[in-house]
This record gives sequence, C-alpha cells and structure tokens, in this order.
Amino acid sequence: MKLPLLLLAVFTGSLLAEEMPLPRWLDGEREQAIKDGWIAGDQILNHGLAADPELEMSLLDSLKPVDVAPPTPEDLAESDAPLDPVPNEFLDAYFENRPTQFLIDPQGLLNADESASQLGFLKYHAGDSAIDLFVYVFGKIQEIPSEVRSEEFVERLFSTGRPAAVVFYYLGDPQRSEMALSPELSGKIALPEQRRAMESSVLKTMAKDDPAAQLKAFTMQMSIRLYWMERTLEGNFTPATPAVAEVSPVPEKPVSARVVLEENVVKFLKDWGPVAGCVLFVAIGVLVLAIHWRRRAQFVFADLDAEPRLGASHAAGVGAVISFASANLPPARQRDQMPDYLRRA
Amino acid sequence: MKCPRCVQQIHRAAESCPHCGFTLADADFAFGAEEVRLRRLTDAAGLIRRGDRARVEAALAKFSRSFPQLFFAVYTGSLGEVANIRQFGFWLLNRGAFEDVPVEIPNEAGILLTIDPESKAATITFGYLLDPYLDQADTFLSLSRAHAHWLEGKYADGIVRLVDHLAGVLKKRSRQARRDPERFEKKHQPAASKRDLIKKIRSGHQTSNSRPSKSQEVAR
Repeated sequence: MKLPLLLLAVFTGSLLAEEMPLPRWLDGEREQAIKDGWIAGDQILNHGLAADPELEMSLLDSLKPVDVAPPTPEDLAESDAPLDPVPNEFLDAYFENRPTQFLIDPQGLLNADESASQLGFLKYHAGDSAIDLFVYVFGKIQEIPSEVRSEEFVERLFSTGRPAAVVFYYLGDPQRSEMALSPELSGKIALPEQRRAMESSVLKTMAKDDPAAQLKAFTMQMSIRLYWMERTLEGNFTPATPAVAEVSPVPEKPVSARVVLEENVVKFLKDWGPVAGCVLFVAIGVLVLAIHWRRRAQFVFADLDAEPRLGASHAAGVGAVISFASANLPPARQRDQMPDYLRRA
Repeated sequence: MKCPRCVQQIHRAAESCPHCGFTLADADFAFGAEEVRLRRLTDAAGLIRRGDRARVEAALAKFSRSFPQLFFAVYTGSLGEVANIRQFGFWLLNRGAFEDVPVEIPNEAGILLTIDPESKAATITFGYLLDPYLDQADTFLSLSRAHAHWLEGKYADGIVRLVDHLAGVLKKRSRQARRDPERFEKKHQPAASKRDLIKKIRSGHQTSNSRPSKSQEVAR
C-alpha cells in the first residue's frame, strides 16, 4: 500500500522539479524586505556581498596564497650535504654476484621485521609475476660508487635467468631511486614507461613518513607497474624459467647437461627418495622371499608303477653317452650311439 | 627306451632285448651278480680333488633337498677296454647299495652318473621312477653342460653344472606333471602285448556279433 504512494510522490516531485520555475522577487518585495532589515539566504546567494565590504575583503584575503617560510640555512645545508659512498666492505655483497634474495640489504638498514615483511612481499611478487623485482637498499645519504653503472651492472648479472627489474632504493630518500631492467626487458619496454613507473612509485612514498613504510609503498606500486608492463608484453616473451619463490644463483659458467641431470637426480631423490626407498625395500624383500621360496621348494613326482625291463629290478633307463676325448669336436659330434657289439668287433 | 648293449629301441615291458636278447643277467655275467656297496659320491678313479669334493657333495645334497624322493650318485672309475659304460651304468644302478642314501629311497629313484676317464666317456642311468619324466635328450643336454669342463680336466665343475642342469629339467617336468598328469601317465603305460591285442580284437568282434544288426532286426 505504501509503495504506490511513495512512487507517486517521487514521480510528482520529479515532475514539479522539472517544471517549477525558480523563485523570483516580485515588484516591491525586495525593497520591503530590505526595509525590514533581513533577507533570507542573502549571505548564501551572495546577493549582498557588495554591500558588506569587510566581509568581501576577508573572503579575498582567504583566497590569497599562503606565504611559505623560506628554507632555513640548515635545510639548505642538508640538501647540499655531500653523500657518503657505500662502505667498501659491502661492495662485494651488493655488486659482485647475482643476488640469491630479492631484497639486498647487507648493511642491515632495515630491521629484521621490516626486512622479512619486505622480502615476503617480493617473493610473493616473484611467484605471481614473470618479472622479478630486486631491491637494493642503500642509506639516505649514501651513494653508489661511480664505477657502478646500473645498466652495465644489470646487464652483467641479470642477462640470464628470469627477466628482472632492479631498483637501487635510498632509504628515506626515495626520489633518488634508480631502476634498470634486465636486457631481455629493456629493449621491449620504452624508457618513458620505465620513468613513469618510477615516478608513480616515488609518488606513493610521499604519503608515508616512515622510511620502511615508504619502501613498502614503493615496492607495492612498482609491483603493480611491473604487472602492467608484463601485460603489455604478454605474448612477446616467455619467462626463461618458471616462477619460483626463491631465486637460485646463476652460475657463471654455462651449465652442462650432466650437471642438470645430477641436479634433477638430487631433486628427485630429495622429493621421492623416502617413498622410492620404501618401495625398493619392499620389492627387494619380496624378491628375496621369492628366491628363498624357490630355493626351498621341493618337487615330487607321481610314483607310477613301471614294469621291469631286461630283468632289472631297479632301473633300465639308459641315458645318453658322451665322449670328451676331443676338444675340437662339439658335444653333439661326440655323442656315443655306437652299439656295444660293433665296438667289440 | 634303448637297450644298453645294441642301443636299439625296446618296448616298456620287454623281458629281454628283442634285438640282441640282452638282460641284466648278461651284465651280471660281465661285472658280477653280487651287491656292490658304494657311496653317493664314489670317486674310484680319483678325478675329484680334495678341495672340490665338498662342492660336489653339496651339489648332490642340494639335489636331494629339492627332490626328496630322489638321489643323485656319481661314480668315476676306469672300466677297461672291454667294458661298455652304458651296460656298466645300467648294472651299477641295479646292483649298487648306496650307503649314504636313506633306506626309504630305493634305487628306482636314483640317477647315476658314470664317468670313465680312461675311455673319456660319461653316461647317465636313471631308475624306473623317472622313466616318464626323463629321456635320452635330457640326459645328453645335461652331459653337454659338463663337456667343456671335463675336456679341461675340471671334473668337479662339470659334475656340479650337470647336476644343476638336470635339476632344472626335473623341476620343469615336475611342474608340468602337476599341471597335466595324464600326459606322463600315458607316456608311462606299457605297450600292449600281441596277446592283449588279439584278445581285444576278439572281444570287440564278439561284442559286435552279439549285438543284432539292423538287417537282422528288420528280418524279425
């Protein structure tokens, strides 16, 4: 019962809204209202703004840009402060070999929880994406030695294996971050696209204050951008190896078929060794029992009554006679079939 | 079945060889009618070395374990120029008394390997129990297994190989006999004598004569 009435009200309301004209002052009404001293909605409808110069001025003042304090000398000093090179003892850990983890932080700039959380996300990304994301973490005021060029570094270490995006991330100063793609990707993804990915990821860090949270936001956004890169490249390339949660170190020398075979055998044994061992043990047991049973088996013959022959009470089964006089003749040629009386003659 | 002397085929119930008239009495005349006491391994010719003797005895014992009804015996000896190894083996298995063979196992269940190093010949003789299960071809194949060893003078090796091979043949025959006993029973049935044959024919005729023919029935 209520629903039709409600629908009717809505319908008529909408019709009235469309057709009803806006209210207008009738002749003399506005002047009469001014005389009375108050006009309803005047402030809202801004009809009386010109009449109140103070209010007008305050509104105009609020629209003026706020004066920002100029940077202090300390700020300027900080921004121009010279950067410290990455300590020499960590250079090998950073740049010597292809990393075995997706998060490379030999200096321990992230604490254990942050590191584990970040690494977990990067592993998840690697399992979900065809492009691995490697994040090298450096300090806020650190700089990479000049002899390490990101493109050359990536080409040297990431030319084999799965496609990868490598990010040099400065903890607390994400604007200085750099990204390079492995050779397999760099030729296929345009530089503007790479730059946009970086900018978008850096922009995400702006909303966070904590350096670790900034890194998290950065990697999440970068993961999303890599996903879209992967989508655009879909069909143009296939990953060299299936996605794995953990990156295996890439050997410097080409892997021989024998090594691959050995690895497969070791993997098989690791996976199926216990099961195969049990099956083998049972099979050998059964085999041993069968052999033992056959060895212990006894054979009997039915005792069929035989009539004696040639006056012999026990035996008349005369078998073959073989001679072993000559080594030059085969046994078949030395089978003696000669009757006794011929021999005697 | 062949006659030990003339090597001609004889039927299963022949009291003497129909070809040469050979009987055990002839062999007794040549070798003696008395019982000969010997062991399962009698190396009268001294062919088997002391170290090998245990191996041969072990092979014979193993054979006995697999075939509790049977025994395998080996005799080596020089028979001289005039003796025939086939007749000798036949005679020895009938006249031999094997001291180390259980009394409940008669010579009918025996297999005798006879080796004559002088004439460089060997033969196998077997008792009536094995008549349906062994034939000359089986014994020849077993002897062939030992041939190469005996040529080199390794008598023990040859004997062990021979025993193993013959045991394999007998195991096979035992399984066959278990599956299809009739096959061996038929093989063992003695051939019908002429008298039986005539009797059968006559009885057959009588049966047919006793039954009225269709023409007789019609006449009635």
